[in-house]
Amino acid sequence: MAIKSVKEVKRKEFYLFSPFLRIFHWIMASQIVVLFVTGLLITKPMNVGATEPVFTNTSMDLVRDIHFMAAFILCASLILRIYGFIINKGDRLFPRFWEGHFYEETVDVALHYMLLRGHHASFLRNPLARGSYAMLYVLLAIEIFTGFAMYLMVNPSSTFGKLFGWVNTLVGSEMMSHYIHHYVAWFIILFAIGHFYMVVRAEFMEGESEISSMFSGKKILAHNPKDANELD
Amino acid sequence: MEKRESLWEAYLRRGFSRRNFLKGCVALTSLMGFSTDMFSKVVEAAETKPLPVVIWIHGHECTGCDESFIRSGAPLASDVVLSSIALEYDHLLSAACGAPFEAHLDETIAKYNGQYILAVEGAIATKDSGVYCMSGGHTFTHLLEKAAKGAAAIIAYGSCSAYGGIQAAKPNPTGSAGIERFVGGKPVVKVPGCPPIPEVMTGVVMHVALFGTIPPCDSDGRPKQFYGNRIHDTCYRRPFFDAGMFAENFDDAGAKAGWCLYKLGCRGPETYNSCGNLRWWQGMSYPIQSGAPCIGCSNSNFWDEDPFTDRLPKYGKLGDVDKIGAALGVLTAAGVAGHAVASIVQRNQRENLIDEDHHE
Repeated sequence: MAIKSVKEVKRKEFYLFSPFLRIFHWIMASQIVVLFVTGLLITKPMNVGATEPVFTNTSMDLVRDIHFMAAFILCASLILRIYGFIINKGDRLFPRFWEGHFYEETVDVALHYMLLRGHHASFLRNPLARGSYAMLYVLLAIEIFTGFAMYLMVNPSSTFGKLFGWVNTLVGSEMMSHYIHHYVAWFIILFAIGHFYMVVRAEFMEGESEISSMFSGKKILAHNPKDANELD
Repeated sequence: MEKRESLWEAYLRRGFSRRNFLKGCVALTSLMGFSTDMFSKVVEAAETKPLPVVIWIHGHECTGCDESFIRSGAPLASDVVLSSIALEYDHLLSAACGAPFEAHLDETIAKYNGQYILAVEGAIATKDSGVYCMSGGHTFTHLLEKAAKGAAAIIAYGSCSAYGGIQAAKPNPTGSAGIERFVGGKPVVKVPGCPPIPEVMTGVVMHVALFGTIPPCDSDGRPKQFYGNRIHDTCYRRPFFDAGMFAENFDDAGAKAGWCLYKLGCRGPETYNSCGNLRWWQGMSYPIQSGAPCIGCSNSNFWDEDPFTDRLPKYGKLGDVDKIGAALGVLTAAGVAGHAVASIVQRNQRENLIDEDHHE
């Protein structure tokens, strides 16, 4: 007699994410948390309540150093992302906005997420998710460019200073770089809340290894995803 | 054209000693930000270079830069104006006025074509054909274009001529802008500040006067020796910043003790100027030293980056971006929680339908 809670189902396993992308993902996630918290503390520092600079543990300096260190780790880990992007097709799930079906599918998924439709077609990665991840990279790029534009201006005449100094000119002033850096950080956090929810929701609703795929690299799907051909 | 005398000849004419002259040159060398091995070149230039003709015009501004300039201590502004440069035309410092004065400008431009230094204070009013700033019956735009054509070099004194200044603040009804786009591609040295430090003003004009070239500038056209560092990086209160010791209010113990003004909106971390090392009035003080947070007056857009006493702009009752962001975060979290519940309800409905299908 079969056990009641065990049943046999037929599922397909899709290998999507290279180890490089997975490692990058978790480095990025952890560093974004560090960067966000230290970033808020840099804008509005805590007062250490000391009476002599020599007796403190130089808190502002420490917070800034942690922020910069996390930023460098995040930037360095992009090398993993790029390497995975080159060697593995599953790391290259673009929003395919140059293909007509992308828009129909986006509407389909959006209607489902607005609870106006009972379900949407199955994807390895649905078009809305693709769009939001592409957006995250844009936000990250803004953070990196404005961040280095501020960081390297200790010596504007240096090679690296010249490499990023144009950003401050482009946005109007260095203060504007500070503002943009700070505002975009909030957008990234809003993205993170949405992303966390959508991943947990997908796992909960479909049970198709959405969460574990970022550890194992594999998605084990009961449905047939529409975009499976992108792995060929 | 009559021969113009050099600085050395000017000293000789006044009966100063060689020793005095050399001392002056030492002061000039350090003021222009050179190392001492440039001293012989400064002496050589001071001996041979004829003193330059300067035309100094004023546009859309308050003439506060001149107020600053005349307080220069080393070199004394009077020395610069009376013996180091040949100041032929200046709206503010000239005793002459009217048609003869304007005629003298035309004469000077024609006589020293391609040789004179043009110093410009004040923004250019671009809206409505420039009628918001008139000089001698013409628009300032006209005067600037006329004077810029024959200039060897152009010095933009003050944030107005460099970037547009306070009159360029939103909504900028006069269309005020920096002069750079209106000088026909001539090299412009920007000496921003509201006003610039007097010694920086005299230092830049002396550099151009002695060497005939503009000083080494950064990508924005500001002389590196004066605008190469942030005020924050040269501020004597920096140790308090690093230690996390901040004045929270203008009247608290931290403010009295001279702690860092970062939390009171100090723009030192974004501002390039010599306030931290040269300071004002012969090194007596500068805004931060007197307990006032820097407002970033030498920055290209400082007038629109209010409030000056806060690090982030506020949006009325909504507060700053940290408040709005936190509220949005809470809203998003509440939203996804609601969405989760609705999704579960929807799934259950779907499964019930499927179950019913199976039973039929």
